[in-house]
Amino acid sequence: MAELRSWRHRRAPGEPIGAATRESYYGLPVIHGPHWHWPIVFYFLLGGLAGGSAVLAAAARLLGGRSARPVVRAGRYLAFLAILPGPLLLIVDLGRPERFHHMLRVIKLRSPMSLGVWGLIAFSLSAFLNALRQAVDDGFFGRSHRLVRGFQQLPDRALAIASTVPAFFLAGYTGVLLGATAVPLWARNALLLGPLFLCSALSSAAATLSLLLTRRSQNDRAEQALAQVEFLALTGEVALLEAVHRKSGPVIGRPLRHGAEGRAFAGARATTAAALALHGLALLLPRRWRQRLELPASILALAGAFLLRATMVFGGHRSADDPAATFALTRSDE
Amino acid sequence: MKGPAALEGTTRARLGAFGFLTDTTLCIGCKACEVACKQWNQLPMDDFGFTGMSYDNTGDLGATTWRHVAFIERISDREGRRPTTLAPFQSNWLMLSDVCKHCVHAGCMEACPTGAIIRTEFDTVVIQQDICNGCGYCVPACPFGVPALSPLDGKAHKCTLCYDRLKDGLEPACAKACPTDAIQFGPVHALMDRARARVSELRTQGVEARIYGDQALGGTGGIGGLNAFFILTAPPEVYNLPAKPELPQRRVLPAFLTTALAALALGIATLFSFRRVGRMQHG
Repeated sequence: MAELRSWRHRRAPGEPIGAATRESYYGLPVIHGPHWHWPIVFYFLLGGLAGGSAVLAAAARLLGGRSARPVVRAGRYLAFLAILPGPLLLIVDLGRPERFHHMLRVIKLRSPMSLGVWGLIAFSLSAFLNALRQAVDDGFFGRSHRLVRGFQQLPDRALAIASTVPAFFLAGYTGVLLGATAVPLWARNALLLGPLFLCSALSSAAATLSLLLTRRSQNDRAEQALAQVEFLALTGEVALLEAVHRKSGPVIGRPLRHGAEGRAFAGARATTAAALALHGLALLLPRRWRQRLELPASILALAGAFLLRATMVFGGHRSADDPAATFALTRSDE
Repeated sequence: MKGPAALEGTTRARLGAFGFLTDTTLCIGCKACEVACKQWNQLPMDDFGFTGMSYDNTGDLGATTWRHVAFIERISDREGRRPTTLAPFQSNWLMLSDVCKHCVHAGCMEACPTGAIIRTEFDTVVIQQDICNGCGYCVPACPFGVPALSPLDGKAHKCTLCYDRLKDGLEPACAKACPTDAIQFGPVHALMDRARARVSELRTQGVEARIYGDQALGGTGGIGGLNAFFILTAPPEVYNLPAKPELPQRRVLPAFLTTALAALALGIATLFSFRRVGRMQHG
């Protein structure tokens, strides 16, 4: 049973105990950190991708006209496929996976995780209906069956509009969920994480869709629109990453500067900035050069989205283990 | 630790609330509370080893440790010299039996997405073990680091304030076992009156005493007070307690508002981008 609780105390060898007791209790963590690991990182990433795709598909359906149909099709399928593993990743992460349905006992408006469960269900339903409508239109189930004709009566535009609210919710609530904890890095950035995850969701969805559609490039205008969305979302992402960096400050921001999380955060900032720069450059260049720049830009944007989620989840562990960060958050009375 | 003086010694606890007053000036560090808690609640032992830093070989509250006696040896001042004088009525050892604070507004309970964490008729906070599915959200949602997931059963655990004993009209096991009455159990408001009297008595003796768990210190930021509170003789950070924690759920509404604003901006940007697709086509 000795390995049940791993005992780590942080006093450096040779350093007197008095040094650690002056500012904290032998350097031990004040709060307990989260247990979330890679399944949650990938859930955050896929949830953002799915939500962003649904938003793009809805916008393309509402305003894009015929030339945006490939975006609608790819966006609806991607939203559905990306959210499929989501519930499984969350259930795997539970201490008692067989009790996942206990989440459905209550709705609590002040618990982002409770809201998130219901938001995920609403999004899954709308993503399924949108994908079903698309599949029927694409003739996956034939044309003649009565059921198929029934599905074709599904109001296409209304489905698109209705999908946007749960899509934005799914892409952004994870940031609120992290902010509503005692983990200093998350708590200090509570107002920024939701917008940051939203921007990252939209940029990564636009990047994925343009990567998917780029091979059959008969569709210049829709791709231009995707590139523009990606550019705007990346602008927000770069600005919010800088804001998080500044707001965290010297003590709470330690995980963003040191160790593997620090390197991941630097990587996230570098890749999003590079993606933004390439997109900006592409806008200035003649059309035939654009694609060569937009392809690496999209890959960089996806890498940035992944690094951002990993930094925030694992940086939270580091932050929770740092008593100085907790005290910096809870001592701010002066 | 200068909070608004008007809030000192006040709590928003309900009149019928029960809780602990843990008076660290009476604690002798015997750990009888830890043992009594383990025995009554049938909790397995933890890491059987030495921490190598003080007499505290428990280390932390955890899934199977619901009382934890912290030992702080004040062996050096800022220059690293040994002290030559003693504070009145004090040794150079500080001891604090830490426990779940049973907050008036509890972060763990508000975070819990299954409704497993409830407030009992004694106004204590209890995790229902037949409901908890081990999502782990209560763990980082606690500003004091109390609940923890057990690797034995995958569920979250913490002090129940001996809910089963209270049901039978008994006081919690730790309070029962405490040989110096450093741990006192009773109605929160009566205990708070006692704590105020004790603090002013200690202050007349020259001891720098303070209540941790009123609305000025420990029970701040929407928490509204701690039903299990403490009398300390040093700043709370020395005992590994946050001075002015905040109820994490206070940030939910503002954070959702900024997220909604960002969603609005991004939605307009997306529509704007695709509007030009349609226009180009028609034009």
